[in-house]
Amino acid sequence: MDILGAAFFALLTIGTIGAGVGVVLANRITTSALLMAFTFLNVAGMFVLLGAETVAMFQVLIYVGAITVLILYGVMFTPQSPRPYGLFFQTQKYWAALFVVPIAIFVALVAFEFRDSGAASGSGGDLVPLATSIFGDFAFPFEVASVLLLAAMVGAIVLVKRDEE
Amino acid sequence: MAVPLGAFIAVSAVLFFIGTAGVLVRRNAVVILMSVELMLNATNLALVAFSRRFASIDERGSVFVVFIFVVAAAEVAVGLAIILSAYRNRPTVDVDEIRQMKG
Repeated sequence: MDILGAAFFALLTIGTIGAGVGVVLANRITTSALLMAFTFLNVAGMFVLLGAETVAMFQVLIYVGAITVLILYGVMFTPQSPRPYGLFFQTQKYWAALFVVPIAIFVALVAFEFRDSGAASGSGGDLVPLATSIFGDFAFPFEVASVLLLAAMVGAIVLVKRDEE
Repeated sequence: MAVPLGAFIAVSAVLFFIGTAGVLVRRNAVVILMSVELMLNATNLALVAFSRRFASIDERGSVFVVFIFVVAAAEVAVGLAIILSAYRNRPTVDVDEIRQMKG
């Protein structure tokens, strides 16, 4: 277990720092954005290694999902290079199939294997103490955070809205 | 815990340094935003590591990480909106060429 944890930590460290350097050094901004998503995934792995599974799940949902997509939209709306960024995803469909098809088969096999294994472990991990803290001691900051999100949403809409004369 | 706390803090420090270097070196506004995200992630890693090491029952560090998630989401949304509206005035994302707010 010690060896396994250390090996995972080494892999995640290499991924985090390598992809982080890549974000700063990459010439193409799309590469930067995808490497940033990879950095976030590695940090989520570190959260799992630390035993904070709930935070890792939030990390994947918010950073790898939402923020990366948001930044890719920002890249799309501010075209800079003469090279068409849209082709980045469309010229490599055979390579993409090479990676996606084995993963899809693997996921299908796992899902089939565990089709009637009942509920996952009910211990809850770090979710229960996290929820107890947020809705107990930190209930007021939690509400303030929701107001902040609302203000940011309205502000973003106002900033990018086109003036209609 | 197999991996010592110092190792996580070291990774966090290196990641924060990379983000700082990105903010200082790159001139593309979107890449600067990404580098800020890297710095926030480094902070999250340090917070979770300390939280797991020193307070295994209470989850204060993880609560702060959740609030950092909220602030990061708001920051990216508003930051990209500012970049987009500046881009609409002058089609560039180079922060050296965006001078409308200079006195």
